[in-house]
Amino acid sequence: MTSGQRASRRRGLLLVAPALTVLALLTGYPALYVLWLSLQHRIPVFGIAEFAGLAHYWFLAQDPRFWNAAGTTGLFTLASVLLELVLGVLVALALYARPRGRRLGFSLLLLAWAMPAVVTAKLFEWLYHPAAGLVNVVLVGRALNWLGDPVLALPAVILADVWRTMPFVAILAYARLLTIPSELYEAAQVDGASRLGMLRYITLPLLRQILMIAVLFRTLDAVRAFDLMFVLTGGGPANTTETLTVYAYRGLFQMLQLGFGSAIGVIVFVLVMTVAWAYLRLLRREGLAA
Amino acid sequence: MRSWSGPREAKALVVLASLLALGGCAGESPDRGITLVFKHARILGPTDPIPTLLREFEASHPGVRVKSESLPWTSDEQHQFYAINLEGGSPGFDVMMLDVIWVPEFARAGWLLDLSPFLAADETAPFFPSAVAAATYDGRVWALPWNMNVGMLYYRADLLARHGLSPPDTWEELVSQVRRIRAAERDPRLEGYLWQGKQYEGMVVNVLEAFWANGTRVLAEDGRLFPEPDQAAEALAFLRRLIETGVSPEWMTAADEELSRRAFGDGQAIFLRNWPYALDLFEAPNSRVRGKVGIAPLPRHARAAASGGSTGGSHLGISRRTAQPALALALVRFLTSARAQRAMVSGAALYPSRQAVYHDSDLARSHPMLPRIHAMMLAGRPRPVTPYYLVLSTTVQPEFSAVLVGLKSPQRAIRDGRRRLEHFLVSLR
Repeated sequence: MTSGQRASRRRGLLLVAPALTVLALLTGYPALYVLWLSLQHRIPVFGIAEFAGLAHYWFLAQDPRFWNAAGTTGLFTLASVLLELVLGVLVALALYARPRGRRLGFSLLLLAWAMPAVVTAKLFEWLYHPAAGLVNVVLVGRALNWLGDPVLALPAVILADVWRTMPFVAILAYARLLTIPSELYEAAQVDGASRLGMLRYITLPLLRQILMIAVLFRTLDAVRAFDLMFVLTGGGPANTTETLTVYAYRGLFQMLQLGFGSAIGVIVFVLVMTVAWAYLRLLRREGLAA
Repeated sequence: MRSWSGPREAKALVVLASLLALGGCAGESPDRGITLVFKHARILGPTDPIPTLLREFEASHPGVRVKSESLPWTSDEQHQFYAINLEGGSPGFDVMMLDVIWVPEFARAGWLLDLSPFLAADETAPFFPSAVAAATYDGRVWALPWNMNVGMLYYRADLLARHGLSPPDTWEELVSQVRRIRAAERDPRLEGYLWQGKQYEGMVVNVLEAFWANGTRVLAEDGRLFPEPDQAAEALAFLRRLIETGVSPEWMTAADEELSRRAFGDGQAIFLRNWPYALDLFEAPNSRVRGKVGIAPLPRHARAAASGGSTGGSHLGISRRTAQPALALALVRFLTSARAQRAMVSGAALYPSRQAVYHDSDLARSHPMLPRIHAMMLAGRPRPVTPYYLVLSTTVQPEFSAVLVGLKSPQRAIRDGRRRLEHFLVSLR
């Protein structure tokens, strides 16, 4: 390295230093604070503040409510991300293939995506209404107890989440479709490729990278899912829709057990970091990330 | 009553003088008024009486401005808001509306000003004793009751009359009345008894009422949990059976107050358990059940002596960090006065915490049910008055919900709930 390069490098570090410091303060400090809280019995209402070591983690390891929430979070993440991916790509292809009504379709997609989760939840509360809800009256034709049935409640919440976030995948995929040069399809046509063949060998491989990024974002969101279930079911019935973040909320803001709630928060944090790390490795292999 | 004037006035003068000096420097006169911040939930109802009341208070306290600030919509979010802001140390509000179940908790946390030293000996006497009890912790009063609620039974007076029935005294009677009326009416859309079984605080209230109707409770005076587990299990089993036998529809397990209130208001049910606010909505001009609704106390079980609806409602407390305790107390006194409470009945369907207002001759003309509601409120019971009520409720909610949807036996839910509670409470006692 020449001295000029070294100087430039030092200047570069100096220039990013403020940003790094701010980031460290804004994310690092709270994360460490929560970690520290999670090692304590901290219940301000009762004036309790004492070191607890790993007691909260030990309790959680044997806590059926925790494992239930972890399972629900996993199932919710898997099902909603998968459905969003498949439906998102289908919608993108439909938009691409049919110029007519594209603008309307786009507006509707954006509307669903732009709506705050709490509003979506309220909307679905009415759609799922046992007697007068659209879902029952039009689609099912009988009075299914969507939000009050331990088997149906989680699928109902997943469906609402898919409706809300599928547009994100669809719009990203659609944007990528627009950049695929038409020569590729023309050449394939000359070679006698079927439409399905073109989808299989041209479109999907080219969508792959953008979809991986979409899945990364969606997974990280889904692992932290909170507002939909909080408003729609409150985690019920019988905790069948309680995710880890809802459980953390109950511990932190209702029971005001800050140490206990923080322990759940730390676990969610570790989970999110693990998912992010795994994806980043995958993306790096694809040459998408440094 | 202790007077606040002496040292406070001196302090105010010093502050005022320094402000004037500062104002002189800046070349403009400072705002000499005092601002009180009043945090409260948004008031639903035909007309919000709060702004008028606050202007009236300002008129009688020259130089004082009351800023009214809304809390978030749901009770959960309101509790979160208070917990964060009060624990943070600089709350930024003086007077706050409190759900009755939070008062002991907030008092224990040291967030509320102890009102006892300022209250005259008989000052709490005109309020419902159960409301005063709910705001009393450690022998001191931490908030004044603002409005009152009680769980009660709504029934379709027209349907009962058509079948020659009078409102049920016992749950057994209610079930047989539902069967009889539904068999005769032959309307598949007519449900029997609606209540609240979603996994939330409202469901806990319903279960507690079922416990009381069966002669038991969740917390004994000595702090034991589920002191009579067999009777508690029976009460839970009864609620589950209501759903299993179709007396109540399956969707009770997702129903809150509004969902059940709307179905009854659409004429789709014979009985409903709800709070008094629903009455005004049922009697509204465009209501489908207008003039067809009666109210009665919640039934009891045949062998239990008495029942009682759960009381609820809100209190007004003062932040311990307020800079204006005397004025804040004056505002609390004004808002809990008979005059203010009369305005709230007519404007917002909020029921008074003062007993005399229920027998006010002017109000009785527009609100003929007031004396009956008064009797039910007097017979109502508070939820356990303890600083760890929310820990209790949050822990038992999923257990009770599991019974209602048929995933757990009542015995097991009680056992699991008790074990979890003991874990969380052991460090608190």
